[in-house]
Amino acid sequence: MKTKTWIIILAGVFLLGLIGTLIVFFRPTENKIANLYVDGVCIRSIDLSSVTEPYEFTVETDHGSNTVRVEQGRIAVISADCADGTCIRTGWIGERANPIVCLPHRLVIRIESDVVGDVDAVAR
Amino acid sequence: MKIRRLTLCAVLTAMACTLFWIELQIPSPIPIPGVKLGLANLVTLFAMFAIGPVDTLLILILRILLGGLIGGNPMAVAYSFAGGLLCYLIMLLLRRILGGRQIWVAGVLGAVAHNLGQISVALVLTQTPQLLYYLPVLLVSGMLTGLFTGLIAQFCVLRIGWIK
Repeated sequence: MKTKTWIIILAGVFLLGLIGTLIVFFRPTENKIANLYVDGVCIRSIDLSSVTEPYEFTVETDHGSNTVRVEQGRIAVISADCADGTCIRTGWIGERANPIVCLPHRLVIRIESDVVGDVDAVAR
Repeated sequence: MKIRRLTLCAVLTAMACTLFWIELQIPSPIPIPGVKLGLANLVTLFAMFAIGPVDTLLILILRILLGGLIGGNPMAVAYSFAGGLLCYLIMLLLRRILGGRQIWVAGVLGAVAHNLGQISVALVLTQTPQLLYYLPVLLVSGMLTGLFTGLIAQFCVLRIGWIK
């Protein structure tokens, strides 16, 4: 195949990926519900818009623990005993809709419009 | 195995491990699991186009196992194997199709294959379907880093040429 053909094909795939990335990261969020998943199961849902007092809680799993801080309209992992610290460096989400992922602890926090788990109650 | 071939494989494995270690020292600026430079892939790519598939597979497997010892994370070895082998298969297919000035294409598609392999294993191991949201991000990052390592490997292959 000609180099030009490769460039066109790859540029097309790249554009698709870029559009997908923009959708995942900059999707406007109307209802700010933060859903916490461990092992793919939602363990807790927090309505971020109704938070008045900032608070913290710790998610303990078989894999380790993550401390989550919740403020008005936003949520972040502030400390964790995982090896890579990716979840902490993701920072605050809420305005941005990208998920927080702690792969070693199998914890995912996503901003969604629907309540999936028990509101503000740790299920396990 | 001839001494020459043995030494060549050993040197390239050492280079791959060094690049792997250097990359571990650089904290990723983008906090997304799976986004990384993939410097060690440079050696795989070079070996595939300058030496041959058999030796490349040997170097790749040795690098992953030694990299697991260097990084000290047994889980990372599982991810590396899935990513590395898928990347290897793509390069093997492209080896015959691509000309010398198109090696960067193998870098791009190899890196994308690597990321796809890793996310698949992560999906199975962690049972976290939400990871799929990272698929487009990993596609874009894989293409950019793959282009970077692919071009470097291409320059090396064109300079050094086929090694017998």
